[in-house]
Amino acid sequence: MASNHGAAEQRTKHHKVEGPKKHVVAFIFSILLTFIAFATVISGEINKDFIYVILMGTAFLQVFVQMAFWMHMKDRGHTFAIIGILFGVVIVFTAVIMAEYWVWW
Amino acid sequence: MAHAHAVKRYSGFMDWLTTVDHKKIGILYLIAGGFFFLVGGLEAILIRIQLWAPQNDFVGADTYNELITMHGTTMIFLAAMPLLFAFMNAVVPLQIGARDVAFPFVNSLGFWTFFFGGLLLNVSWIVGDVPDAGWTAYAPLAGTTYSNDHGMDYYVLGLQIAGIGTLIGGINFLVTIINMRAPGMTFMRMPLFTWTAFITSALILFAFPALTVGLAALMFDRLFSANFFDPTAGGNAVLWEHIFWIFGHPEVYILILPAFGIISEVISTFSRKRLFGYSSMVFATILIGFLGFMVWAHHMFTTGLGPVANALFSIATMLIAVPTGIKIFNWLFTMWGGSIKFTSANLYAVGFVPTFVMGGVTGVMLASAPADFQYHDTYFVVAHFHYVIVGGLVLGIFAGLHYWWPKMFGRVLNETLGKITFWTFFIGFHLTFFIQHFLGLLGMPRRIWQYLDGIGFNEMNMISTVGALLMGVGTILFLMNVVVTMAKPKNAPADPWEDGRTLEWTIPSPPPEYNFAQTPLVRGYDAYWKEKMEGHKGMTPAEPIGPIHMPSPSILPFFMGVGLFVAGFGFMYAPDWGHIGALKTGHFIGIIGLATTLLCMVLRSMIDDHGFHIEEDEILKDLGGKA
Amino acid sequence: MSAHTHVEGQLPHEPEKATLEGRNKVLGFWLFLGGETVLFGTLFAAYLSLRDQVLEGPTANHLFDLMLVAIATAILLTSSLTSVFAIQAMHQKNVKSLIGWLIVTVVLGASFLGLEIYEFYHYVHEGHGFTTSAFSSSFYTLVGFHGAHVLFGIVWITLLIIQLSRKGLNVVTAPKVYVAGMYWHFIDVVWVFIFTVVYLMGKVV
Repeated sequence: MASNHGAAEQRTKHHKVEGPKKHVVAFIFSILLTFIAFATVISGEINKDFIYVILMGTAFLQVFVQMAFWMHMKDRGHTFAIIGILFGVVIVFTAVIMAEYWVWW
Repeated sequence: MAHAHAVKRYSGFMDWLTTVDHKKIGILYLIAGGFFFLVGGLEAILIRIQLWAPQNDFVGADTYNELITMHGTTMIFLAAMPLLFAFMNAVVPLQIGARDVAFPFVNSLGFWTFFFGGLLLNVSWIVGDVPDAGWTAYAPLAGTTYSNDHGMDYYVLGLQIAGIGTLIGGINFLVTIINMRAPGMTFMRMPLFTWTAFITSALILFAFPALTVGLAALMFDRLFSANFFDPTAGGNAVLWEHIFWIFGHPEVYILILPAFGIISEVISTFSRKRLFGYSSMVFATILIGFLGFMVWAHHMFTTGLGPVANALFSIATMLIAVPTGIKIFNWLFTMWGGSIKFTSANLYAVGFVPTFVMGGVTGVMLASAPADFQYHDTYFVVAHFHYVIVGGLVLGIFAGLHYWWPKMFGRVLNETLGKITFWTFFIGFHLTFFIQHFLGLLGMPRRIWQYLDGIGFNEMNMISTVGALLMGVGTILFLMNVVVTMAKPKNAPADPWEDGRTLEWTIPSPPPEYNFAQTPLVRGYDAYWKEKMEGHKGMTPAEPIGPIHMPSPSILPFFMGVGLFVAGFGFMYAPDWGHIGALKTGHFIGIIGLATTLLCMVLRSMIDDHGFHIEEDEILKDLGGKA
Repeated sequence: MSAHTHVEGQLPHEPEKATLEGRNKVLGFWLFLGGETVLFGTLFAAYLSLRDQVLEGPTANHLFDLMLVAIATAILLTSSLTSVFAIQAMHQKNVKSLIGWLIVTVVLGASFLGLEIYEFYHYVHEGHGFTTSAFSSSFYTLVGFHGAHVLFGIVWITLLIIQLSRKGLNVVTAPKVYVAGMYWHFIDVVWVFIFTVVYLMGKVV
C-alpha cells in the first residue's frame, strides 16, 4: 500500500547516505555530451542530416542521465513519475511530428 | 492531543469562501456549474429562436456569432467540466475511503480560478464586447485584424484563468487516487467512477498545457503584437488548429469518461448486479484515454493535410469505437439477468446507452475522411456532437445528480418529478438533434445566422426549436425538483437506494466533516456489497478511533482568483486606459493583480498550516447519534 | 486527514517522504512536470514550425553566438549539480551545507538569467524584436517562458532558504526543498532541448 511504503522502507533498508560520486559522474557526462553537440555544429564539417541525429542523440542521452541520476528516476518508487513523464514525451513527439510535417504555407 | 494555536473555524458565508473541504467544494462546483449551464442553455434557446424561421431577425448577425461562441464555450468549460468536478469532488474521496483529496488548499484554488475565469468570460456580455469567433477561435478570425474589439480578449484570458483551475484539479485527483486509497483497495478494486475520474485527470494533465500554450500565443498576438497566427507576418493559421485540437480532442474524452463512470455505477446498482467485465471496462477506459491523443486532426480533414495524414487519423478515430463498443456491451450484459429498478437515475442511465450509441455511430461516419468532406461544417456534425455531449454527458450528469444527491445533501430528489423531467428532457433532446442530421445531409451549414426560404430547411428547424424549448422546460422542472427537495427534512439514510455497492454508501448522508470515523478495510471490488453479501452490517475498520487531523480553511484561494481576474482586465484594456507615468494604466493594474496572486502564494508558502484536530469524543458522539 | 506522523527528536531518513503530505507533494510535482513537458513540447512544436519565417529580420544563424550559449549552459548545468548537493546535504541532515548549496544554486541561476537578458537586449538591437516576425515571436516566447521559469525558481528557492533559516529542517520543510530541487533539474532538462533545438540547430545551415 502506497501509504505504508515509507515506513516499510525505513524499517528494512540499511541506510547508507549516498555520496556525491554518482552525481559528479553524471555532471561530467552531461558536460561531455554538451561539448560533443556544440563541437559538431561549430566544426561545420559534418553532413547536415547526420548533425541532426547527433544533436538529438546527445540531447536525449543527457536528459536521460540527468533524470535517472539527479532526479532519481532509476530508483524504486518512481513508477507513476516515469509513466507521467513518458506519456508527456509521447504527446510531445506527436506535437513535433505535427509541426514538422503538417504545418505549411 | 490539543494544539496551542487557535482553531480557525468559520460559519455561514465565510465558511463557503474559505472552505477546503472537498464535499463543500463539490457543492460550490455544482452551484456554479449549474448556473453556467442555465446561461449556456439560455444562449442555446436564443439561437434556436433565431433559427426557427427562414431569414429571421430575432437577433442580429453579430449577436448570433456571439451567442454560438458563448454557448459552446460556456457549456463545455463552465458548465460540463465543473459539474463533472462537482461529482469527482463529492464522490471520489468517499469511494476510495479517504478523508479528503491530496491537496485541499489547491482544490479550493481550482474552484476559485474556474469561478473567476468564468466570471471574466461572461462579464463580456455586460460590457458588450463578446467573444464571437466560435468556441474554437480559429485564426486569423480570432486575431486583431478580424476581431478588433475586446471580445476575443475575454475569451483568451477567461479561459486561461479557468484552465489553471482545471489543470490543478486534475493533478489533485491523480495524487489522491494513487496515494490515498484505503487499505485493501488495490487499483483493480476501485469503483468504475473512480477509475474514470483517474483517467480523466490524466487526460486533463496532458491536454490542458497545450491549450495554455495556444491561448498564450493568441493572447500575445492580440495584446502584444506577436506573429504566431498572422500569415502576413509569417504566422500560420493551421498551427492554431493543430494546437487547439491537440487539446480539443482529449477535452471531449475528458467530458465523456466520467459520464461513463457514472453510468457504470448507476446501472450496476439498479440492476442489483455486479458490473459485467470490470477488467475490460478499465482497459477500455485507458485505451480510450490514450487513443484520444492520437486523433485530433480528424477535426482538420478539409484543411489540406494530404491523404496520408487523413488516412492515419481516419483509422485511429475509428479505432476508438472499439473500446467504446466494449463498454456499451458490458452495460447491456450487466443489466441482462439483473433485478432492474427504474429510478430516475436509472432512467437517465438506460436512456444514455442507445443515445450515446447513436452519437457514436455518426462519429464513425464522420471519421471517414472522404465522407467528412461532405459532412464538415454542416449540421450533421452539430447533431453528432450534441448527441454525444448532451445525449451522453448531460444524461450522465442527470443520472449522477439523482444518484448522489442524497449523499451530498441528505435528501432524495422527488422521484415522480424526476421521471417527468427525464421524459420531457429526453424527448426534447431527440426532437432537437435527431432532425439536425437530416438538415446537415441536406446541406445546411453550421454557424449561419439565417437561411433562405424555400430550400427545405424550414420545418426541420422549427421542429428542432420546439425540441429545444422542451429541454428548457425539462431543466426548469429539475430546478423545481431541487427547490421542493431542499424544503424536505435532511433525513436520508446512509444507503438510501438500499443496494449501495461502494464505500460512499457506508457513511451518513451527508457525511461528517472527516468522512470516515475509521478508515475502512477493503476486501474486494464493490467493497460494501461484498460485506453485505457476507452478512455484515458495515465495513470492518482498518484503524482504531483516534483524533483526526483536518486542514485549515483559507481565504487565500479566493484572493488568488480575484488577483487573476483583475490582472485579466488590466492587460486587456491596456491600450484604452491611458498612462500612469511611463507605464500604461492597464499594465499597472495587471501587475497589481498578478502581484496579489503571487503574494498569496508567498504567504501560503511561508506561513505553515498546522490544521486542527477533531477529537475522539466528537467522533464517538457522531457515531452514537447516527446508527 | 489521518493522524500526523509526529516525529520526536530524530529526523527520519528521507524526510521529504516521511509524511503522507510529503509523498503527495513529491508525486503531485512529478505529475506537474509531466504537464510542463507537454507545455514546453507545444512551445517547441510552435517554434519548429515557425523558425524559418523571419520576414525582414535576422535569421537564427546570423543572430546566435554559440560561445555565450555555451557559457550559459555550463552555468545552468553547474547549478543543477549544486542543487543535487543541496539535497544530499539535506539527507545528511546538514542544514548549513544545505542552505549553502542552495545559495550557490540561486547565484548561478541569477547569472544565467543575467546573461540571457543581455543576450535578448543585444538581439533587439540587431533588429530581432518580439514583434518582428513569426520566428522572433516564437523564439522569445519559448526561450522567454524558460527564463520566466528560471526566475520563478530563483524566487522560490530564495524563499525556501529564508524558511530553512527560520524553521530549520523538518518533515514540513523537507518536501518543499525536494520539490524545488526537482523543479530546478527540470528547467535544466528543458534547457538541454533549447540549446539543442533552438541554438545549435539554428546554426546548421
